[in-house]
Amino acid sequence: MTLMNFIYGFLVLIGAFVFQTTLTGINRKITARIQKRRGPKFYQQFIDIFKALSKSSITHGWVYDFGAIMALGGIAATVIFIPVAGFQAFPGLDNVFVISYVLAVGMLGMAMSAAGSGNPWASIGVSRALTNMLAYDIPLMVVVFTLIFINKSGSVADLALLQQGSGVFGWNFIKLPLGGIVAVVALFGMLGKKPFDSFIAPAEIASGPMVEYGGKQLGMMFILHELMTFIEVSLILNMFFGGGETLVIYLIKYALLYTFTNIVSQVMPRFKIDQAVLFFFRVPLGMALLQGILVIFLGWGY
Amino acid sequence: MTNSMNSYKEHFQKLLNVEIKDSPADMQLIIDVNSDKFHQTLIALRTDGFRQLSILTCIDWIELNKFQLVAILMNWDTGMHLLVRTLLDRDNPDFHTITSIYPGAIYYEREIFEFFGVHFKGNPTYDKPLFLERWDAMPPLRKDFDPQAYSDSKFPKREHPHVFKAQVVEEIK
Amino acid sequence: MSQEIKKDDRKLWEVVGDYFRANSIWMKWYCTGCGAIEMPPTMTSRFDMEQLGMGPMATPRQADVLLITGYLSTKTLRRVIYSYEQMQDPKYIVGFGSCTLNGGIYYDSYATINQLDKYLPVDLYIAGCMPRPEAIMNSFGELIEMIKRGEAKGWKHYQENYDWYKENQMYSLGEVMIHDEFHE
Repeated sequence: MTLMNFIYGFLVLIGAFVFQTTLTGINRKITARIQKRRGPKFYQQFIDIFKALSKSSITHGWVYDFGAIMALGGIAATVIFIPVAGFQAFPGLDNVFVISYVLAVGMLGMAMSAAGSGNPWASIGVSRALTNMLAYDIPLMVVVFTLIFINKSGSVADLALLQQGSGVFGWNFIKLPLGGIVAVVALFGMLGKKPFDSFIAPAEIASGPMVEYGGKQLGMMFILHELMTFIEVSLILNMFFGGGETLVIYLIKYALLYTFTNIVSQVMPRFKIDQAVLFFFRVPLGMALLQGILVIFLGWGY
Repeated sequence: MTNSMNSYKEHFQKLLNVEIKDSPADMQLIIDVNSDKFHQTLIALRTDGFRQLSILTCIDWIELNKFQLVAILMNWDTGMHLLVRTLLDRDNPDFHTITSIYPGAIYYEREIFEFFGVHFKGNPTYDKPLFLERWDAMPPLRKDFDPQAYSDSKFPKREHPHVFKAQVVEEIK
Repeated sequence: MSQEIKKDDRKLWEVVGDYFRANSIWMKWYCTGCGAIEMPPTMTSRFDMEQLGMGPMATPRQADVLLITGYLSTKTLRRVIYSYEQMQDPKYIVGFGSCTLNGGIYYDSYATINQLDKYLPVDLYIAGCMPRPEAIMNSFGELIEMIKRGEAKGWKHYQENYDWYKENQMYSLGEVMIHDEFHE
């Protein structure tokens, strides 16, 4: 590990933030066009984040402050491990399990910080977010284990690399169609897109975990949200859509996948949290187990 | 008045032993009773199927020097509405609670005390503040309460440098 | 409100901050009166407030501008004051319609206040009963210009003259924080 590794990591971090924030702004415009509105400027998301950072802020105790920093730090650390188009800041450390565990640091920091604010809506939001995580994680993990079983590797970069070379038909989304659908549905849950957005639900629980954030902490939460989106979309992209041979292809694929989730979520209603859990445990989990049985016992997908 | 309404009217006249004069609309009747017979009327009506108290409210008749309590009851089986009314002395507005008959009246009684100053004996919480927070004048829905004077004393008015007055312009023929 | 700020004495980072704050205004839309009904057409596709960078927010902590949409009863004013004091600086208030200006048709009511800027620092009033969405959009444009020029200083005025505002609040309300059976 040399100094260059750290500089590369920093570049990945900045690039991820700039790209995802621009994409979010463009998607706000797309959302507006779906609703027959003019919509904000494409760089509106940057203005929002810098505005939030320029405001004053208060504290609700050290758990709240420390949790916010821990969440942002944990998520930023995770971004560095994500392989982008074959490029890795720290080669060999991109195992699925490493990423899952480092991601959990950020998630727990956010839960801790929100619960530390003392607002009951925040507690409800956190409990819903963790329930939602439980719901989408189990089907997704079954599919990911299947992938690891086929490819005999847990490295995200290897999984992406093994799909390249034979075009679209090499993608795991095509080779394991049931598992691919499960992964895309789980991506909706990960991103908190409708119909799985009951943990933010602004009109219902006043934006859930975010309820007590204002000013600088809110700006940090927005940055965190952009980085987290980058991690989640990148994981699904690398594991099921072949990553990218070059950076341009990677970013185009990424933009298409993210825009797809956004467009679909605009025409969806919202599940209650118990409905979301029941849905994930009935349909995607069933599909994931079926996929696993097909792969392991019948040898399909090799 | 339709035949069915006439039969309803006779039914209530016989049941309550009062004269029923008014019917504001179809399936609605007004029953005026003395204040000492108010409770037994309500009990009789509740046993007759009027399970819902829609509202208990009050009207200030300042010329008569009376308060009028109005209870609107509804029968869900027949769709019948009854307005049971009684007059109270305005100078000494004491009454007995009806919460033993209709428990939901507890908040209506607090509201009436707050806005009219009628005391409900037997309801331990009738004088707890409900809507008006930190109220410091006479009950505001009494007719002798002057809202303009209260507003002037309590809420500062904007001072306008110019006062514009509307004037009637003669129509040109 | 802004007569004491004569020349533009902001520092560079404040000017930059004001650029961001002017182009991204999140609102707390406190539905006090009838003006709340004018907000849905202003937010949705007919007038589309988001093209100015404005949007609704769920809680006062996240919001920049507090919209007082109509008459304020004393009871509501207490809640508005809590909400305003929870917001993060810099924060702005827009008063809608004649009720917030001088009481409107409720000028003689025993329950509604007559002049909002005695209790809270109002940056901008919109005339009308109620103002139509065109007027609201126009006034938001004006608010954006005011923030860019550094004239929307109501929050600073509130901090500097807190005693005067508190005295007025106490005079009309008696007590801002309420202790009753619903608020322990």
